[in-house]
Amino acid sequence: MLATVLYLLFLIAPIALLALGSVGQSWTNTLLPSGLTGEWYAQLAADPSFQRAFLTSLKVVAATCVLNTLIAVPLAYAIHASARRGAKAAARILTLLPIATPELVLGFGFILVFSSDTLPWLGSIWLLIAAHLVVTLPYLINILLADMAHLKLDELERVAATLGAPFSSRFIDIVLPLLRHSLLSGLITVSAISIGEFQISNLIAGFLTRTYPITLLQAFYGATGFACAATIVLLVLAILASAAGALTARAARAG
Amino acid sequence: MSVRFENVSFRYPGGTGGVFDIDLEIATGELLAVIGPSGSGKSTLLKLLSGFAVPDTGRILVDGRDVTRLPPHERALGVVFQSYALFPHMSLWRNVAYPLKVRKIAKKERRARALDALARVGLADFAERAPPSLSGGQQQRVALARALVFSPRALLLDEPLSALDASLRNDLRDEIVRVQRGAGIATLHVTHDQEEALSMGDRVAVMHAGRLVQVAKPRELYDRPLNRTVAAFVGHANLWPGVVEAAGRVGTPLGLLACDTTGFANGAQVTVLARPEAVQPLAELPNASRPNVFYGLVNADRFLGAQRRCDLEVGSGIVRIETTIRTAIHAVSIPPEAIRLLPPDSTASQNPAHTGKPS
Repeated sequence: MLATVLYLLFLIAPIALLALGSVGQSWTNTLLPSGLTGEWYAQLAADPSFQRAFLTSLKVVAATCVLNTLIAVPLAYAIHASARRGAKAAARILTLLPIATPELVLGFGFILVFSSDTLPWLGSIWLLIAAHLVVTLPYLINILLADMAHLKLDELERVAATLGAPFSSRFIDIVLPLLRHSLLSGLITVSAISIGEFQISNLIAGFLTRTYPITLLQAFYGATGFACAATIVLLVLAILASAAGALTARAARAG
Repeated sequence: MSVRFENVSFRYPGGTGGVFDIDLEIATGELLAVIGPSGSGKSTLLKLLSGFAVPDTGRILVDGRDVTRLPPHERALGVVFQSYALFPHMSLWRNVAYPLKVRKIAKKERRARALDALARVGLADFAERAPPSLSGGQQQRVALARALVFSPRALLLDEPLSALDASLRNDLRDEIVRVQRGAGIATLHVTHDQEEALSMGDRVAVMHAGRLVQVAKPRELYDRPLNRTVAAFVGHANLWPGVVEAAGRVGTPLGLLACDTTGFANGAQVTVLARPEAVQPLAELPNASRPNVFYGLVNADRFLGAQRRCDLEVGSGIVRIETTIRTAIHAVSIPPEAIRLLPPDSTASQNPAHTGKPS
């Protein structure tokens, strides 16, 4: 009981303080800020570097989701359908590697490879998207694989085959419709991770391709209220993504 | 609409399992039940016919056409699986109509034929329902309708009743046979339930270690099993090791038995078969001399409702009895005509203590 209360306190107190700070007029050397203002949010909205970072983040998230879908669905299907147990295990380990590897390691690897003269792509938005894809793909694949096993997809496909459906029909009529819920909730997880991703982005983003969390760090060198407002924006985005994820997961169970 | 296995063999890669030298024909309209212990190859037989495995040697013919190497979706065979495997995201009529959809039949006709097929299994009112809202028995009926709606060349039943409650099974047995008769197509029914096989099959095939041991009509299989394996697997059986001591006399752990020994020489090792329901329990040893009467002690007595199953210890052997008599049993009479001699079984002679006991 006490542990729960302490946990919630540590979780909620900073968030509450941030929210408070974002609408407080001045906050220096006092426990709580004084005065009420919407000025920080107005400043944030007018700031060109934050505008650009926000747009960059949205672009990266969108592209990450699209590429994830195009790659994860066929890949998860191939892993699920591969008959050999060994091949299955190997594929799973391979897809889990990016989760197990510290992101710093991945980031330094990207710097080494893409700052060379042959592959001078460091700082481009496409490299950023590629990095986010590498980091998020395992999550989506695992969500899809769990759902495939739960649905007994292989059994349903076998039945469909005996009923006369060739591979293309089975994929379109059976596999895709059944996976739509888990694909959606998986993509929301992917979005939440991509929105908040800091480590790799910070290492490989260029001056013009900074994502929102990187720019956010700069804000803490300025006015406290401004930094709080900028953080709250990120928090709201992340909460929206999580809530949408939870809702679709529930809809999937009910369906 | 017939099915034929011609000298088919298939070995699982990296294992010893598979099926060997299978020659089998299922005639149009015939229901052939295949039984055998798990690992005997009966499911492999179904895999080979449905196209999920390709034989190493031999051919499989459906309607005289070689389908040995055709992929499953080109074979036009209706398969009913143990797990029903209805598509959870489709209503019942869409499930049943799916084989028609992949055959590009117009939606109106698809729906009409699906509803007709559902009506034939008594589920016409459920057409718009989703599969998870149905009981297991109802789901399996839908699966049956779906497997037959496209007029397949043959019907394959893969343990269709084993996931169902016992009370439902009997009803569904009748239902499957009725629908199969109506469709009039060759049917391969794989099951581990010998009662199901005997009651549903026009003929029954017994498999053991990947080979067909005996294929016969249910009564013949029960009354005249070819060897110990078949006798033990089909129905309950008393199986004692024996030696022919003279014409019409066989020595067994119970004592000397009188029976027909035609075809067996003196001194021949045999397995003696007597069905538990053919054995007559007695309250006491009769005074008048009757053949094959033994005094014994009941060491297990199970009341099953309609009948009673007893194990009577006689000499160094055990006699299994199935009877409706409820009074005390102290002796048993084994009518000579109820006894059949079978060729010896290697495992039986190596381990005689095991035989005669309930398996």
